[in-house]
Amino acid sequence: MSEPSTQTQTQNEAPAAEALLARARQAVEMARAAGADDAWATAVEKRSVSLQFRDGKPETVSDATTRALDIKLYVGGRYGVYSTTDLREPRLREFIREAVPLTRQLQADPDRRITPPALFPVDDTGDVLQLQDPAIARLDSGQRLEWCREMDALVHAEPRLISATSTAEDSQIHIANASSNGFGRGYAKTTTSLGVNLSMRDQGTGAQQSERRAEGGDSADCLHLGDLPSAQRIAEGALARARARLGGRQGPTIKTTMVVESRAAITLIRDLLASATAANIQQGQSFWPALIDTPAFSDKLTIVDDPLRPRGLGSRPYDREGIAARRLVLVEQGRPKAAYADTYYGAKARLPITTGEPSNRVVQPGTRTLVELVRAAGDGILVTGWAGGNADPTTGAFSQGLDGHIIRNGEIAEPVVGMIVTGSLPALFASLVEVGNDPFPYAALLTPSLVFENVQFSGA
Amino acid sequence: MNRRQFLATGSAGLASVALPRFLGAAPNATDLTQPAPANPFLEWFGIDEALIRRVMSELTANGAAIAELYFQHKRTNLIRMQDGLASQASSDIAQGVGLRVVVAGQTGYAFTEDLTPESMLRAARVAATIANGARAPVPVHFDPRRQGDLYPVERPWSEVGLDEKLPLIQKVEALVRAADPAIDKVTVQLTDTDERVLIATLDGHLLVDRRPSVLLGLMVTAKRGAKTQSNLGSLGARDGLSFYTDGRLKAQVDEVVARTLVLFDAKRPPAGEMPVMLAAGASSVLLHEAIGHGMEADFNRIGTSIYSDMIGKPVAAPFVNVVDQGNLPHELGTLNMDDEGNATGRAALVEKGILKSYLHDNLSARHYGIDRDGVAHVGSGRRESYRFPILPRMTTTFMENGPHTREEIVAAIDRGIVAETFTGGQVAIGPGDFTFYVKNGWLVEGGKITAPIKDVNLIGNGPEALKRITMVANDFKLDPGGWICGKYSQSVPVSIGMPSALVSRMTVGGENV
Repeated sequence: MSEPSTQTQTQNEAPAAEALLARARQAVEMARAAGADDAWATAVEKRSVSLQFRDGKPETVSDATTRALDIKLYVGGRYGVYSTTDLREPRLREFIREAVPLTRQLQADPDRRITPPALFPVDDTGDVLQLQDPAIARLDSGQRLEWCREMDALVHAEPRLISATSTAEDSQIHIANASSNGFGRGYAKTTTSLGVNLSMRDQGTGAQQSERRAEGGDSADCLHLGDLPSAQRIAEGALARARARLGGRQGPTIKTTMVVESRAAITLIRDLLASATAANIQQGQSFWPALIDTPAFSDKLTIVDDPLRPRGLGSRPYDREGIAARRLVLVEQGRPKAAYADTYYGAKARLPITTGEPSNRVVQPGTRTLVELVRAAGDGILVTGWAGGNADPTTGAFSQGLDGHIIRNGEIAEPVVGMIVTGSLPALFASLVEVGNDPFPYAALLTPSLVFENVQFSGA
Repeated sequence: MNRRQFLATGSAGLASVALPRFLGAAPNATDLTQPAPANPFLEWFGIDEALIRRVMSELTANGAAIAELYFQHKRTNLIRMQDGLASQASSDIAQGVGLRVVVAGQTGYAFTEDLTPESMLRAARVAATIANGARAPVPVHFDPRRQGDLYPVERPWSEVGLDEKLPLIQKVEALVRAADPAIDKVTVQLTDTDERVLIATLDGHLLVDRRPSVLLGLMVTAKRGAKTQSNLGSLGARDGLSFYTDGRLKAQVDEVVARTLVLFDAKRPPAGEMPVMLAAGASSVLLHEAIGHGMEADFNRIGTSIYSDMIGKPVAAPFVNVVDQGNLPHELGTLNMDDEGNATGRAALVEKGILKSYLHDNLSARHYGIDRDGVAHVGSGRRESYRFPILPRMTTTFMENGPHTREEIVAAIDRGIVAETFTGGQVAIGPGDFTFYVKNGWLVEGGKITAPIKDVNLIGNGPEALKRITMVANDFKLDPGGWICGKYSQSVPVSIGMPSALVSRMTVGGENV
């Protein structure tokens, strides 16, 4: 692989924020000129570069530049959303000119209004949030190659390895918004990530033991290069996770304690909060409203949505509707307190407008490590990953396949596969007995490991 | 994966299928009314053949075994009716070009949404950095070719206005509300897509395709006393407005309403291992997960699939035949050509119980040396859009009829379940472990269906599940729903189908030990 030219790097660097904001403002003007009462425009430009490196050599290098314009139109109580990547001015003007009468053909909806200015941000939080790392724009292909080579070499020391793919990826995104009622702002965000996924020959048991492969991976996503863990740490993490899957056997059908490792706990918290949206509540597809302000869950559970965490993956100065970022307490000591409510479904459901868009969801940590939680559990199942399933926000019913380990006498024992955990999300979180102190830091949903009692598992 | 959250492929070989996210996304509309023009470069994308040659020359400046420019213009329209109001519509245009060069198994890829010469040449130079060899010869002329006519429509969606779409979704909403007094909330959504694709290949072909599709999504919530239940359904095709006949709409509404109301009486089955009858139709989610993904050649080329060393080996009973077929007229998984310009067709994955063939793109076909003696591989190279590189993918995956009847299968079950409707599935490619989520089903006791069940996950291992298929009925059915398959963060529409079949033993995620 040869080096991309310096010229290429330079030409793809961030466009001027002013130009992007001007594009959004121009679209709003086009909409108003075409007859829209109100309009909200979003202009986006994104460049992302990635290198995939497999088994000793680069496999795929990709460079992508995306530019798009979205516009929401409010026309006589009607509402339409339109987006395009064809930004040539005559095409854009025609696109918007056609969209206005299209919107007018819809039925009027009294709850659909443009975001009121009272909800817009007042202060500039850009510097406080630290969403952008200029060093990422200066990354070159040599650095990505070096990271990938290092990860690849480390995992290939494992004799049972079949194949490993290392990835280094980074991106820069610029967003600008403008509206017919006075909004005009933008911000930029950078991301960088490293990861390894690998496959190993499994000497495990079962009818298919000669063909079975164990898989594992590790990765980290950050906004700043300085927060990225070393390539060595990622490689070692991937190896450890794959080795832990070797020799997995189907576990038993049993009711027992479930310890969910922090990365796997993300899925449970996400499923729980899927019902905490004004859209689901208004549509009658949520168990959340019946539980508001009741001690529905264990008092160990507190969840906050915090878009203002410096360097948080989900941090932002305002959401897609222009609603200023602010902290939202979703669950406080086991009591559901609020829901995600955008301007439309919030109005329809008669709920306070918060935001329709999750940011950094943070579960308040406890004091003990995963090892200590396992020791305290004595016997049970440790869940380290999910193998697919579903959760119904209407009823809370859920059923998930899992990867994990038997917990025996307070120790992590043999790996298990082919097991399913089944139950009701409200009942599960009522049975939460402890929260760990170990949130996985490279995600927008930050939850420590969780311990639940008396959980139903299906297996052999 | 479930239908609200499809597409998360974090680990090494994770792949999934799910019903589309039709009630949350904001898809896109169209003006693709004309037949392919004589000069699609110019008329569709505002560029000329000379520019294509220049870009191809830059793309292959450091060598190339495979290279192509993939131009795409896609417009998607959506209209949604909720709470009795058809008050939301969206339209999206995505246009760009993806440039790929492959040398010695290494891929350079870039895309741009700016179809100016400068931008395309810049993207080509970036992609070309993957290689460092000698310049590849570039065709002096691109030979136009169009193949297949698998999805003719009487009128393109660009000619169908809101004045025709509104009555359609209003009719569906009225049918649902009239079906039962317990119906509380109804959402109906119609998404139509028109897509123009133009592929210029290093071997001098210029291939064009126009791809219509439409999907009607339905979400129903019912209330009885303090209890609420909801369910989903969808009806889609590569077809025009006439696809939605009164008969089809009524059948779809009746089915979704019935599936919702039965949930009030449904319980979870006992937990543990038991026989599972896969009902005809959507149960093919199991085939998609248990065998389909593992047979995609990219996983096998690098040895990470559980099926990597099993071609030619017996994997199932002799009456088990599993096929992936990309040329069934009007199916959502159908393509006139794949996204590398190869003809689609019938690929036997399992034939009379023997593992037969992987699903190939150009890269894997080269690796395995299967394009020879004038016979080309069945085209299975697909991509979500110009923003993504090619991968081997499924199209329409199904099992063929067997020698038994549905009644014989039910009678053979002493204590087990029937799995009837699904929200999605997922597989880990290496171990072959898969799950799929049953929304509706039935308990079987003493050879008879006794009670409805709901909300259970089933888990198994692909090769083991295939071996445990002990009966296959003769009631083959293609599922009419719109299924979306996710792999490496790329979503493509697929179709699925099968007859009723018995898996002698699977783990059911029930309750009450």
